[in-house]
Amino acid sequence: MKRVLGQRPAAVRDGGAGARAPARRSLMLAGILILVIGVVSAVNPAFASLRNLGDLLVQSAPVIIVGCGMTLVVLTGEIDISVGSLLGLLAALMGVFASPQHWGLPTAVVIGLTLAVGTGAGLLNGLLVTVGRVPSIIATLAMLTILRGVTEFIMGGRWITDLPPGIRALGTGGALGVPWCLWVAAAVVGVSVVIARRTPLGLRLYAVGGNAEAAGLARISTARVRIFAFMLLGLLTAVAALVAVPQQSVVESGIGVGFELVVVTAVVVGGTAIRGGTGGIAGTVLAALLLGSIRTALVFLNFGETATYWERGIQGGFILAAVLVDHLVAARQGSGGRFIGAAA
Amino acid sequence: MKSSAGVWCAALGVIAAVAITAAAVAGGVSGHEGARAETAAKKITICLLPKKKGLPYFTTCAKGAEEAAKELGNVELIYDGPTDGSPEKAAGMVDRWALQKVDVIAVSPNDPEVLGQAMKKARQKGVHIITWDADAAPDAREFMVNQATGRDIGYALVDTMAKDIGGAEPEGEVAIITATLTAANQNEWIKHMKERLGKYPKLTLVAVKPSNEDQRLAFQVTQDLLKAHPKLKGIFGISSVAFPGAAEAVKQSGRSGAVLVTGLATPNDMKAYVHDGTVRSVVLWNTGDLGYLTVRAAAALASGTLKAGDHELDAGRLGTKKIEGDQILLGQILVFTKDNIDDFDF
Repeated sequence: MKRVLGQRPAAVRDGGAGARAPARRSLMLAGILILVIGVVSAVNPAFASLRNLGDLLVQSAPVIIVGCGMTLVVLTGEIDISVGSLLGLLAALMGVFASPQHWGLPTAVVIGLTLAVGTGAGLLNGLLVTVGRVPSIIATLAMLTILRGVTEFIMGGRWITDLPPGIRALGTGGALGVPWCLWVAAAVVGVSVVIARRTPLGLRLYAVGGNAEAAGLARISTARVRIFAFMLLGLLTAVAALVAVPQQSVVESGIGVGFELVVVTAVVVGGTAIRGGTGGIAGTVLAALLLGSIRTALVFLNFGETATYWERGIQGGFILAAVLVDHLVAARQGSGGRFIGAAA
Repeated sequence: MKSSAGVWCAALGVIAAVAITAAAVAGGVSGHEGARAETAAKKITICLLPKKKGLPYFTTCAKGAEEAAKELGNVELIYDGPTDGSPEKAAGMVDRWALQKVDVIAVSPNDPEVLGQAMKKARQKGVHIITWDADAAPDAREFMVNQATGRDIGYALVDTMAKDIGGAEPEGEVAIITATLTAANQNEWIKHMKERLGKYPKLTLVAVKPSNEDQRLAFQVTQDLLKAHPKLKGIFGISSVAFPGAAEAVKQSGRSGAVLVTGLATPNDMKAYVHDGTVRSVVLWNTGDLGYLTVRAAAALASGTLKAGDHELDAGRLGTKKIEGDQILLGQILVFTKDNIDDFDF
């Protein structure tokens, strides 16, 4: 194991194409994000208000938190599309644990149990994929259905509307005027970046996704690395459930439906290669913010009441445009990049 | 291979553990209601398909349906539907029931196009098809059990909002948070709401936004609308999920009472908002009665006592109900306010 520590995988060590592409994507996403905020604010200054930018961050927080975990999983060349259902299951369990009408457990215990179940689900996914050798898309597709089924069974067609104040405070409270979900998101992003970039484990994540066979020859336990990534994703899904679900007054069995697609979109638009090996946290965070701001922007631009019908089209078009522009820039840099560099 | 088998065992163990925990948890949440009627004369099998199984709105409808089935004695009631609200899955259920040759299928279609195909096929197989709660194309079903006409509901929503805003000429901007853009019920209501808004020239509709049956999206869109339209006075949350989401956003923005939220929901889910002043009125019908009437109508259709062209239906404890064309009307809209909402428990 120790021998591996000094070996940086090619993509990271050389700052080669694998490292440069995500950095370029992040810069471009940041540029588009600033452009969107600038243009919409010019049309409707209320968009640039601190309150709105704050709300935008709060709305994107769950995608950012889970997106960090998803990025690490995708870096290893795997994917987990069960996170939407896991979020729903954790919301239901949190509700049942906390609700005075049901178990009425103390807040600290509820938090502990929720985190444990999330991590356990991640472990299960990881075991299915590594030791069970089920392709991750199939294993987690099955889990997507199973977990939603368990959630519906637990809820039995009812809603939980009596979350105690201690739990509601996780969603509506904060410190220094900043909601808990933003503190948590910032911490998660920080820790994830450190894991990915500054630890041996992070290097292994990239190595496993970049070339699993070579990583295996380098005596990296690819199974352990992947199980770790799935467990972390499960844990972060629980973290997101704890800070995001209590923002609402009602826990119902449909929470998180479609969430997995938003998270995977953020990761992929953020520049992490779906086959693994290259990418990073920064791109995912920026893409999550961009996806959130586009939806909000369409409300502020106020194209009128009928515009509702083509909003989703615009959202999809934006995603496509961002990725296409990135490819065009990449192509130009590939052929004429040095020329331009020399001229400057 | 050996370790692989071990993991499979471990995986199964975890799944079993989750299932057992879930069973224990669910036991606490809901008692099982397995109401099966005793077989009397000719047994009638009625399938009741909700838009989405698991929503309290439909769960309370199912309770009324069970009550009717028990009263009738010879009805076997199957209540099932897609738990994710998928129209394709709902259509698959209709197909399966038609193959099983059940007597009546009562459908609340999520998507009249997708469900309409399956319903027509089932009719060709000789199964009675009615719609309830939401409608499909007239040739896809024999009757519709209508909780209230779209006009009743649309007008009631706008009138309630106007009354809550108050004044001789209620004034301000209003917005609608709907279910999905393809939901037939909601689109019908919105049409009549726009019509009725004509009566209040100083109420302007500034936006109609979908919530895709997602409370969180309804919450976020409402947050956006509140900032993008500072003159907003009222928000209509016209699905059971959109309503609490919109109310929570107004409450958290600290503008409860200044921006009024009204809409359709079961009263239990909105009690807290009605008591804290975010919501003054909740508009709905009696959901139990809707399920009850649907089963009554289905049974009458299967036994031949209800035929096309009839003008009324004996609806048991609800008395005689009017039939307009092919619409069996439940009638009577209920408006819940802080004065009466605690009298209802569903």
